[in-house]
Amino acid sequence: MSIVPETNGGNGQKAGLASFKPPFASLGKGRSGTVLRLLRNHTALILLVVLIIAGGLLSDVFLTSRNLLNIMWAVSILGIIALGQTVLLITCNFDMSVAFVVGLAGIVTVLAQIAGFDLVTSMALGLGAGLAVGTINGLLVVYTGANPFLITLGTALLAYSISLMLTRSQTLYATIPEFNELGRGRLFGVVHYSVILVIVLAIVLEFVLRRTAFGRSLYVIGLNETAGRMSGLAIRRVKLIAFALCGGTAALAGLIMTSRTGSTVASAGAGMEFDSIIAAVLGGTSLFGGHGGALRTLVGVLVLGVLNNLLILLSVPIEGQQIAKGLVFLAVVWADSVLRHR
Amino acid sequence: MNRTFHFGGDQTAAVIAVVIFATFATTAGEYFLTLRNLENVARQVSLDAPLVFGQAIVLIAGGIDISVGATMAMAAALAIGLQENGTLTAVIAALTFGALVGAFNGLLVTRGGIVPFVATLGTMSVVRGLLLTYTGQQPLSGTDDAFVFWGGDSIGIFPVPLILSLVILIGLSLFLGRTRAGRNIYAIGGNREAAYLAGIAVKRFEMLAFVLSGTLAAVSGVLLASRLNSATVQLGNDTALLSISAALIGGASLLGGRGTIVGAFLGVLALGMLTNGMNLLGVHTYFQIATKATILIAVVAIDALSRTMARRRLAMAAA
Repeated sequence: MSIVPETNGGNGQKAGLASFKPPFASLGKGRSGTVLRLLRNHTALILLVVLIIAGGLLSDVFLTSRNLLNIMWAVSILGIIALGQTVLLITCNFDMSVAFVVGLAGIVTVLAQIAGFDLVTSMALGLGAGLAVGTINGLLVVYTGANPFLITLGTALLAYSISLMLTRSQTLYATIPEFNELGRGRLFGVVHYSVILVIVLAIVLEFVLRRTAFGRSLYVIGLNETAGRMSGLAIRRVKLIAFALCGGTAALAGLIMTSRTGSTVASAGAGMEFDSIIAAVLGGTSLFGGHGGALRTLVGVLVLGVLNNLLILLSVPIEGQQIAKGLVFLAVVWADSVLRHR
Repeated sequence: MNRTFHFGGDQTAAVIAVVIFATFATTAGEYFLTLRNLENVARQVSLDAPLVFGQAIVLIAGGIDISVGATMAMAAALAIGLQENGTLTAVIAALTFGALVGAFNGLLVTRGGIVPFVATLGTMSVVRGLLLTYTGQQPLSGTDDAFVFWGGDSIGIFPVPLILSLVILIGLSLFLGRTRAGRNIYAIGGNREAAYLAGIAVKRFEMLAFVLSGTLAAVSGVLLASRLNSATVQLGNDTALLSISAALIGGASLLGGRGTIVGAFLGVLALGMLTNGMNLLGVHTYFQIATKATILIAVVAIDALSRTMARRRLAMAAA
C-alpha cells in the first residue's frame, strides 16, 4: 500500500489515510513474522513433509514407491469429492450429501448396465444422478435461504433411501468389463488413471478459481454476499452451479469407486462427507468462506491419506482411528477459526 | 407475560400431532387405538423426550447439538456396563459423562470460536470412537433387574418414563420461562450482540445450554438402557436429526430465540406417532427413511422461509 503514489485529486487524501501506518507497525514483521506467515499459509504442506519424514523413520515400507503410489490411489476418490466440496466451502456452503451421492451414482450406473445400456450412457446416467442431487441441494438452499448443513443432511438421507429402494439392500455387480478399467487401470502400468484424473481436475479447478469470472465470484460470495449482490453478481446462479458441481464430482468419485471393485452398495461412501470437509479445511480452505484453493485441498487430502496409511502400518485399531480422526477434525477447525479471526 | 405454558409457537406442533393422530386413528384404528399401542407410543416418545428438550434449549440459545445421539448411546453403554459397581454409580457416571460432553461442546464453541454444528459434529465422531472402544463393538447386557423399572415399567396405565419426562418438562419449562437464566438463554438466541451489550454473560449461558443438552441426552440414554436392559453401538444413529426435526416442528428456530419445551414435546410426540403408525401400516423401512428425510428438509426449509418472509415484512414496514 505504501508504494502507491498519492494522487492530487479528491482521492488523494483517502489514499493517504489508507496507507498510513502507525509508527511501530513493522514490529513483529521481521523474521519471526515471516515464519509465522509461512506457518499460517502452508500448514498442510509442512504437516505433510513432517508426516512423510516421520513415516520414513517409523516404518520400513512407508517410503517405498509402491506404498506411496498406493496412498495416492487410495486418496484419489476422496480427492475428487474434496475438490467439489472446496468449491462449495469457498462460497460458505457445505454438502453433507456427497457420501450417499457416491453410493447412488454407482448404483445408477450399475443398474443401467444391467438394464442393457452401453458404457458411456450408463456412466452419463450415474453422473446425471449426482448432478441432480446437487442441483436439488442448490435449489433448496438458494431459494429458501435455509441452513445448507441440515438441508444436505436431509437430501443425504433421501439419496440413501433411494439407493436402498433401487438395490433392495443388496450388492450389485457391474456387467461391462471395460468399466473396471476406470478404477483399476494404470497409465504405462505405473500410475492409476484415477490419480491422474484427480491431479488434472485440481489443476483445471485451480485455474477456474483464480482466472475466471465464475471462480472469482465464488470468493466474493464467500467473503461478502451482500457486496457481491450489490456489484451485480448472479449470486443464485453461481451458488446453484457450485452445488451441482459438488454433486457431479461426488458422482464421478462414485463411478471410480464402483469400478475399482466392480460392485456397489448403498452405503459405499459412508464417512466421506466428513473426510472431504476435513481435507479441504486442512488444506487451508476456510469454513467461513472466501478462502481456499484446489491445489491446497489436494495437499490436505494427501495429509489425510498419509496419516491413514501410517495408522494402518503402525496397526492402530479402528476405534483409535475414529477417535484420532475426530480430534484431528476439531484441531483443524479450531486452528481455522483462531487463524481467521485473530 | 405468561411464557411458561404459552401456546403460541406450539399451536402448529399441536395441530400436526392431532392430524397425525387422526390419520392413523382412521386408517389403522383397530391397531393404533388399542390401549397397549398407545402406551407403547407414549413410552417410546418419552424415552426420546429429554434429549429433544436438550436440543430445544441449545436451539433457543442459537446453537445446535449434533452430538446428542452419540452421547445418548455412550450414556446407555455406561449405565449398563458399569452396573457391577452398583446401578446408582453407573447411572451417575452416565449422567456425568453427558454433562462432560456438553461442557466440551460448550468450550469448543465459546472458547474455541468454532461454529456449533461443526464443533458438535467433531465431538460426535470422538464420542462414537469412545463408544466403539468401550463396548468393543459387542452389545452389553444388564444384570440388575430393578433397573428395568425406570424405562420399562408402568404405574397404573402410565409408563414410568412418561411420568419422568413430564416432570422434566415442567421443571425445564419453569426454568426457561420463570428464571433469569432461562430468559437470558432466550435473549442470547434472539440477539447475541444485544444480550452481550445488556450485560448478560453470554458465554456462560451458552455453556449452560450445551451442558444441559449433554446431560439430558444422557438421561435419554439411561432410560433407553433401562427399557432395553442392554446397549449397542447402533443406538442413536439417527437421533440427532430426529431431535432437530422434532424441536423445529415444536416451534424452535435454527436462528435461535424461539421455541418452548412443550412445543418440543409435541414435536417428538408427532414424530413418534408417525413412526408407530407407519410400522403398523407395514410401511417399508426405505420409505420410512425417505419420509424422515423429507420431514427434515421440509421443516428446515419452512423455518428459513418464514424467517425470510418476516424480514421482508419488516423491510416493507420500514419503507
